[in-house]
Amino acid sequence: MRLRSFGERIAHIDLAKGSWQMKPAPRDWVEKYIGARGLGVRYVLENGPEVEPLSPENLLCFMNGPLSGSEASMSGRWACVTKSPLTGTVTDSHQGGWTAARVRWAGFDGLVFEGGAERPVYAFLEDGEISLRDASEVWGKGIHETVAFFQERYGKKNLSVNAIGPAGENGVRFAAWVNEDDRAFGRGGTAAVGGVKNLKAIVVRAGTRKSEVPDRDAWKAVRRVALDAIRDEANITSPRKGGLSVYGTNVLMNITNAIGALGTRNSQTTAFGAGAEKISGEYVHEHLLVEDPTCHACPVACKKEVEIKEGPWAGLHMESVEYEPAWSLGANCDNDDVAAVAKLIDQSNDLGLDPIELGNAFSMWMEATEQGWAPQGQGLDWGDTAAMVALTEDIARRHGAGDALAEGPARAAEALGHSEIAMAVKGQAVPAYDPRGLKGMGLGYATSNRGACHLRAYVAAAELGVVPIEADPLAWRGKGELVKTFQDLHAFSDSLDLCKFSAFAEGAPEYAQQYATAMGIDFGPDDVMLAGERIYNLERYFNNRAGFGPGSDTLPARFTEEASTQAGSKGHVSELGPMLGEYYAARGWKEGVVPDLKLKDLGIL
Amino acid sequence: MRVSFYATLRPIVGDRSVEIPLAEGATVRELVDALASRWPELSEQLFDEEGGLSRRVNVFVGGRDIRWLEGVETPLQPGQEVDIFPPVAGG
Repeated sequence: MRLRSFGERIAHIDLAKGSWQMKPAPRDWVEKYIGARGLGVRYVLENGPEVEPLSPENLLCFMNGPLSGSEASMSGRWACVTKSPLTGTVTDSHQGGWTAARVRWAGFDGLVFEGGAERPVYAFLEDGEISLRDASEVWGKGIHETVAFFQERYGKKNLSVNAIGPAGENGVRFAAWVNEDDRAFGRGGTAAVGGVKNLKAIVVRAGTRKSEVPDRDAWKAVRRVALDAIRDEANITSPRKGGLSVYGTNVLMNITNAIGALGTRNSQTTAFGAGAEKISGEYVHEHLLVEDPTCHACPVACKKEVEIKEGPWAGLHMESVEYEPAWSLGANCDNDDVAAVAKLIDQSNDLGLDPIELGNAFSMWMEATEQGWAPQGQGLDWGDTAAMVALTEDIARRHGAGDALAEGPARAAEALGHSEIAMAVKGQAVPAYDPRGLKGMGLGYATSNRGACHLRAYVAAAELGVVPIEADPLAWRGKGELVKTFQDLHAFSDSLDLCKFSAFAEGAPEYAQQYATAMGIDFGPDDVMLAGERIYNLERYFNNRAGFGPGSDTLPARFTEEASTQAGSKGHVSELGPMLGEYYAARGWKEGVVPDLKLKDLGIL
Repeated sequence: MRVSFYATLRPIVGDRSVEIPLAEGATVRELVDALASRWPELSEQLFDEEGGLSRRVNVFVGGRDIRWLEGVETPLQPGQEVDIFPPVAGG
């Protein structure tokens, strides 16, 4: 596995013809856009921003980065990039576990699926070859059963299965790809694009491959620097000592609750009171945790497998009660039953749904019911977990009220004539940080190129005092530049592709060192930020051409007009207008549109 | 004064929250000193090498990080919530 030849092994699979060929990515694309997210966006742009997302003509890219599957810490990730059926923007989503590494070890830097198959197929990858095989036996099946089917057929050893479930098959606009570890390409509805192409799964078999690099000693040394930072006891990534490693992502639940930044009841309020503790990482650790496995090359082990011991879901062993779905299906729905949250996450993983969008669909529907706007007999009450479980199935199958909600909360609320109760940006629902209590996160949601997202600019790391950058969560001044910096840094790490959580310990210098040494090139921290900026502008250029312009970078009025009443953020709204002014000035954009001169300066045009 | 602890600080204290008696007009400085004397292991987390409040803890009074109030000189009022976290984030 020669890291420096990254980009030479991109497989283009023509699903209509049932054929494939290896075509190297244009060298200047790799130099400019690095890999994974950046390179995938460049392919999707080439296919045209006007394409209908739910059509076989939409391009579906699965892209490794130059470090995916290497010995670099936290390198077990790859990107799925396409035009989103949920937002109409370009979208990228990233998956953990071992699939990225196995695809790389099998001899592929990326997979570009073009067109659509006549009948359901899956792609089987091994030893640098791809075959498209009949998937009719698993079409209609849940992802857990699909994974078991392929493990029975090919054996578990060295095998990864990345599949869509009934939600993807039925064109649910927030359908997710999920692998054998229940790690998902969660956001943006990428699995619905798989569904419209009749692509049920990607199955890969490959054993470990060592990286070939120009200078092995230098490679070892730069990886050591990064690993030492991850292991440093001062960092939350520190194995078995840091908060993220011990409790997983759900270690956040209590702090966002304490500072009035935990959206509750469809963000009608900003804290969940005593309910937060019951669905928190601390509670899960004390009562439900059974195992904490890792992704490829990761010492952090943030995944926390749990087992439900009592109640209607007793016996359920599931992947992890992560912070985002614990919020979306918990506090956001006025639900403090952690066992029900675990059940709903497991259902999402099996049916192939994004649980963030699902929870927001529920909370929107609950508010509509409260207001008397939901159709008679199809309403949903706050915290009614049995009905949530039933409705999840209906969404995936597009039955009853589930058919409307399968369009996503933004479209479903618009159909009711009440868009104001959809907490969404560019059609994608908000994650678990209320913009009234963490103002930089709100600006990040508004300016995200894939719709509301916490991972494009994780400024919470600064606003919560995790990284040594002074950023008062309730101040709006300075957030424009801060959000741009985080967006650019993350665009680069998403293109390497290293886990986003590496940024709790590493920064541009560590990313630059590892990339430069792997590729045998000169590349410094400034180059990291420039490449990240270029990738962020490339995405924005796509969106501008897809119809997103002035006014698209916005937030639901609830965040800008309804003040928080909870401790920590009491009296605050999001000052989005002035923050956007700062941000556009930092970006050199005009009302959310990238000028041609900027595109030329960055080498995009 | 009721003080709540979270994440990796909880096993050190052995409870979710504790009651710390403080004199009227006390500040966060008196509170953390009281905590350090009661749980010596906690003092390693609370203070940096110069004796200042360490970046390895975030102290919140009424939902606000004291860094954005008056630091360790932040006065404590009866009935206020105090929450002490190690650095936490995720996604």
